[in-house]
Amino acid sequence: MSGAPGSRRPAFPGLPGELVLEEAAGARQRCGEGDGSVPGTLLCTNRRVAFLPAQAPGSRAFFHSDYDVALPCIRKLVAASSFAKPKVLTATSTLKFIPEELAVFCRDFRLLRFHFHENGLAPQAFRVANAIAQAREMATWLGDTSEEHNGWSCPAEAPSEKEVEEEEEDSAATLLFESLWDWEKELKRLGAVGWRVSAVNERFDMAPSLPRYLWVPSGLLDHDLKRTFAHFEERRVPRLCWHHPGGSDLLRAAGFHPASEPGSEDVRCLEALLLGGRGPCVLVDTAELPTLADIQLAHLKLRALCLPGAAAEEKWLSALEGTRWLDHVRTCLRKAVEVALLLAGRRCSILLQETSDRDLNCLLASLVQLLGDPHARTLPGFQSLVQREWVAAGHPFPHRLGLLHRDSPQEEAPVFLLFLDCTWQLLQQFPAAFGFTEAYLLALHDSSFAPYFSTFLFSCQRQHGRGSPQQRLHSQTYTPVNGWRDPSPGVRGVGSAACSLPTIWDWGLRYSQQQRVQFRNPVGAAMQHPDTTDPQTPGRPTDAWPGPGSVFVLTKGTLSPQPFPWRTSRPPLRPSRRAPSLESLSEWGGNLWGSLPPRPPPGLLLPCATGPSIRLWHRCYLRGLPKAQRGRFAPSPDGLAEELTLLQDRLSAWQAAGLCTKTTSGPPAPSW
Amino acid sequence: MERAAAAAGPAMEGGGVSRRTVRAGGPTAAGAGSRQASTETLDSPTGSHVEWCKQLIAATISSQISGSVPSEGVSRDYRVYRRPVIRALRDGNKLAQMEEAPLFPGESIKVIAKDVMYICPFMGAVSGTLTVTDFRMYIKSVERDPPFVVDVPLGVISRVEKIGVQSHGENSCGIEIVCKDMRNLRLAYKKEEQNRLEIFENLVTRAFPVSNGLPLFAFSYKEKFAVNGWKVYDPMAEYKRQGLPNESWKISKINSTYELCDTYPAVLVVPTSVKDDDLSKVAAFRAKGRVPVLSWIHPESQATITRCSQPSVGPNDKRCKEDEKYLQTIMDANAQSHKLIIFDARQNSVADTNKAKGGGYESESAYPNAELVFLEIHNIHVMRESLRKLKEIVYPTIDETRWLSNVDSTHWLEYIRMLLAGAVRIADKIESGKTSVVVHCSDGWDRTAQLTALAMLMLDSYYRTIKGFEVLIEKEWISFGHRFAMRVGHGDDDHADADRSPIFLQFIDCVWQMTKQFPAAFEFNELFLITILDHLYSCLFGTFLCNCEKERLKEELSTKTLSLWSYINSQLEEFTNPFYVNYENHVLYPVASLNHLELWVNYYVRWNPRMRPQVPIHQNLKELLAIRTELQKKVEDLQREAATRSISSSSDRGSSPSHSATPVHTSV
Repeated sequence: MSGAPGSRRPAFPGLPGELVLEEAAGARQRCGEGDGSVPGTLLCTNRRVAFLPAQAPGSRAFFHSDYDVALPCIRKLVAASSFAKPKVLTATSTLKFIPEELAVFCRDFRLLRFHFHENGLAPQAFRVANAIAQAREMATWLGDTSEEHNGWSCPAEAPSEKEVEEEEEDSAATLLFESLWDWEKELKRLGAVGWRVSAVNERFDMAPSLPRYLWVPSGLLDHDLKRTFAHFEERRVPRLCWHHPGGSDLLRAAGFHPASEPGSEDVRCLEALLLGGRGPCVLVDTAELPTLADIQLAHLKLRALCLPGAAAEEKWLSALEGTRWLDHVRTCLRKAVEVALLLAGRRCSILLQETSDRDLNCLLASLVQLLGDPHARTLPGFQSLVQREWVAAGHPFPHRLGLLHRDSPQEEAPVFLLFLDCTWQLLQQFPAAFGFTEAYLLALHDSSFAPYFSTFLFSCQRQHGRGSPQQRLHSQTYTPVNGWRDPSPGVRGVGSAACSLPTIWDWGLRYSQQQRVQFRNPVGAAMQHPDTTDPQTPGRPTDAWPGPGSVFVLTKGTLSPQPFPWRTSRPPLRPSRRAPSLESLSEWGGNLWGSLPPRPPPGLLLPCATGPSIRLWHRCYLRGLPKAQRGRFAPSPDGLAEELTLLQDRLSAWQAAGLCTKTTSGPPAPSW
Repeated sequence: MERAAAAAGPAMEGGGVSRRTVRAGGPTAAGAGSRQASTETLDSPTGSHVEWCKQLIAATISSQISGSVPSEGVSRDYRVYRRPVIRALRDGNKLAQMEEAPLFPGESIKVIAKDVMYICPFMGAVSGTLTVTDFRMYIKSVERDPPFVVDVPLGVISRVEKIGVQSHGENSCGIEIVCKDMRNLRLAYKKEEQNRLEIFENLVTRAFPVSNGLPLFAFSYKEKFAVNGWKVYDPMAEYKRQGLPNESWKISKINSTYELCDTYPAVLVVPTSVKDDDLSKVAAFRAKGRVPVLSWIHPESQATITRCSQPSVGPNDKRCKEDEKYLQTIMDANAQSHKLIIFDARQNSVADTNKAKGGGYESESAYPNAELVFLEIHNIHVMRESLRKLKEIVYPTIDETRWLSNVDSTHWLEYIRMLLAGAVRIADKIESGKTSVVVHCSDGWDRTAQLTALAMLMLDSYYRTIKGFEVLIEKEWISFGHRFAMRVGHGDDDHADADRSPIFLQFIDCVWQMTKQFPAAFEFNELFLITILDHLYSCLFGTFLCNCEKERLKEELSTKTLSLWSYINSQLEEFTNPFYVNYENHVLYPVASLNHLELWVNYYVRWNPRMRPQVPIHQNLKELLAIRTELQKKVEDLQREAATRSISSSSDRGSSPSHSATPVHTSV
């Protein structure tokens, strides 16, 4: 613990429970390829490595995205000196020489390089380097030590009023899906008639990894619903993800439990849950998608490839292809398009089924919604989507991102990062359809490695809710008679205060106002207010389309009839009667890339997944390469929009002036 | 048929003309009048989204070429031609019905054949009417709605061959047309004697007019443009802009009759102290008489880029005192450095081979203050082969699992990288090293032009404007004798000619790579670059005809043909980059590393309907820009008005207008 009196560094706004272990004043952070570097102080705390530039920018956020790296995010630490070979530092293999440069390779593809100036710094440099190596091993996972953090203290400087306003507007629009109110609100937005919020899992006793609240058919009582849990892996029953305005439903569930043999009463409940008098049911499994191991392997290869000097220049593209990362991106997008087209094309319910329902189902469910739901493409809509399909749905973030020490390596698989890459591809192909930007995605990407936020710290809602009695408290105010009535609109705020750690969506904690302005896409922002979900969805011909009750499975873009497992002993529901429209459907799916459907419904994005269309996310993955660090972001339409607003302001001001002075007849301003 | 005609109409015509009028109606809401924002101008987001969906379908279903796309958005980037004759629009119904081609002024129909099958690799066979004119090959089918159109300028055709098309019926015969712009077309038709001969013969004759003793269409094209593009480049003005002549460099008229060097322009900039006699001796020593002349001078350091051809050193290490002195003079003209860097674009080994054949390079013993650097760039044949491979992997089908390694195997990007890297080295020597450079390859009209033009683009922000880029092409490429006619093979049927090579295409690709890396540094957009490339082949304009200035003068191009810049400069808004910020005095160093280069999909893979950019975003941006311009004007007007009023009735109000504005939605 330093903080020595007389130290010249600017104040360091520590995180709660954060201790400065070691510091080296007068270090420099290299920026870019050349000799450019910023002088400042390098700090090692029990949470992170932080760099405080000497000329501190006006206000420092708690965690500065350009200068800080959380300890678990450090992948490799290399010390270099002109007198010795570069050395990889670990807790057990410590430094034997005075380092001149320290390179921090991050899991989020950043590469931070600090160097220490000749005289006077030697002992400090030595100490700080060793301290980082030690601290990295010692770093505890905040998710496990809930006692230690008692919430965030107030930021050093209160953000300006305007900022607060904006923040609030933003985070208020993001639904966390912790309260019943959020689920009710979203269900209402979707207009999913025939569905209700069930609080059957309120105490997590039905399915520990599922969220508190589930969207289930209105016609199915909780009593009946309870019968279905046993028949799915991890008791993760089918529930609604998204309701297409045309009437189709998207559901997700774990695999059928192999050992379950539902009795006739259970079968009735199961089929009520799955079929529920809606269209036919299509099962979509994740067999064609990459496995967790595939994803992890590809990501490792990609990481290795994006290190400086990793691949021979001429073979770069082949090496990139060899990682198969882009293949996986393509496969996921393609599958999502198939599902989105099915949902849009015919009234049906689609059940996404993954054995665990906690990884690729998250990815697929959210991708499909990104394609089909313009609201999901707004910034708050996207955050709500991540919150619902990943956080609440129980994606085991700490395991998948490999941020747990004791973690067995085979659990690591950056499914969420794969999803972000898919989203980036969509953003590339439909720049005007999104309310957020690449800068935002990059911030989200990096944030998944910053463990000071509740969002990605836990594996499921149950774990998340443990340290927060408040949550349990207000779930008890649920009155099933009149449905949920939200006690106070500020309940979310109360909840998060009690939950000690802020959510990742409080961007103001880590990103400056200036950076956050870059998150919004003004061109896409205009899409935020579509004339709601268009009511006059074209009536779909249902004549040839098999009615409710039939069950199909979607494989390789074609549908084939397949009964539920408990019906396998019986003859198939509709043997060999292939409805004529199935051909056209399979054409849509399997032959999608040859010809697009006659008329993709408005609002539906159909990304192209052919070779040249799937590109490498340069600004993310190649950040560590020295050459790439220049001009990270292309100028956005943002500046232009800002300028426009300014001009309009000025114009109206002048017009007002014109009105006051000139009271003669005729138009007060030139008509236009 | 009304619809069809309407569909074909706007898409075929120039974008500037059909562009939805953007009125700055939207922002009025902010104004005092609280006028209702006119919705059609505001282009409600959902509306535009719906529209692009329609466009996407139309683009996919209709055709490979822009012509048939009924919407302006999707086809925008690919529209190459300006509005056709008004007649086509006026009685469009009938014409569409008849599947007849719209014509440019001066264009005439040579043959019309009905029931020709176009075998599209993306959507199967389409039957329609084929029209061959002296400019284009046009297939239109009203079988589909909107009508399907293929509109190909004959200039892009590299080869026409008969092929067997048994699958399309016993009596059918087929034609395969190989194009220079990364596509092949296949036609099939019934063997009706008279018809068949006519089609094939006409196509061959008209596609290769030069081989058949006919003039290129550029000489018949009679369009009227508001601007005269031939006036874009005036060498004297350009040199004056560079601050020339000065005490070290003079503008020489020694080549005014093209006697010193017949492939150089009439106006040259050479060191002041060099005498004409010595210059002639230098010319004798340099291949094709292409002496070192100034291309660009640094406004501050006076470091220069000079270009030339290889010296005729030969196996016996011949020397030329005048040449040695000449290079010394070039070095001396720049007081900042006591060195001269000679960039030989070739591979060292190839330069050695050339030496054995009478060419060679400057030895350090003969040129003691010069440092020779080989840039190791391959020759025109390697580039041609690379492009051929590239075409194979992008047209018509793409093997997506091996896409990236396939791109690797063409080496196309590798060669782009080497060019950019070479140009960066040149620019860096000038800017950071303040050292003058001499650039040459063998003849100094291919790689040399690529390198000097790219280096100049990096060094001088003027060349990054639309007009400046036109000047750059006119100067470094056209006037200095890049052999366009030979490298492209305008109107020539010898498709296997070893002199053909996509050198200029490579240059434009490099420029595109730079625009990707510095999105705000260039005044022009991608459409501008694609348009240039399209007219490199189209033979619609005189700009890229002939091999050198002397020939161009003889052919009287500037009076008998139109300039591409006339077309471009008369609708600049189409080609303007909305993000352009004039980074004056900024030197751009693009990252010449393969992981930062991309294949130019919008050019090389554009015939694949799936590669269409899905959102016409630049349309939005352009609307934003238009609104900005209009607003700026309004603000200025009002300010002026207010100023004059305050003068006339100064007592009125002391305070300036307050900030009463309500927040405005810039929903574009």
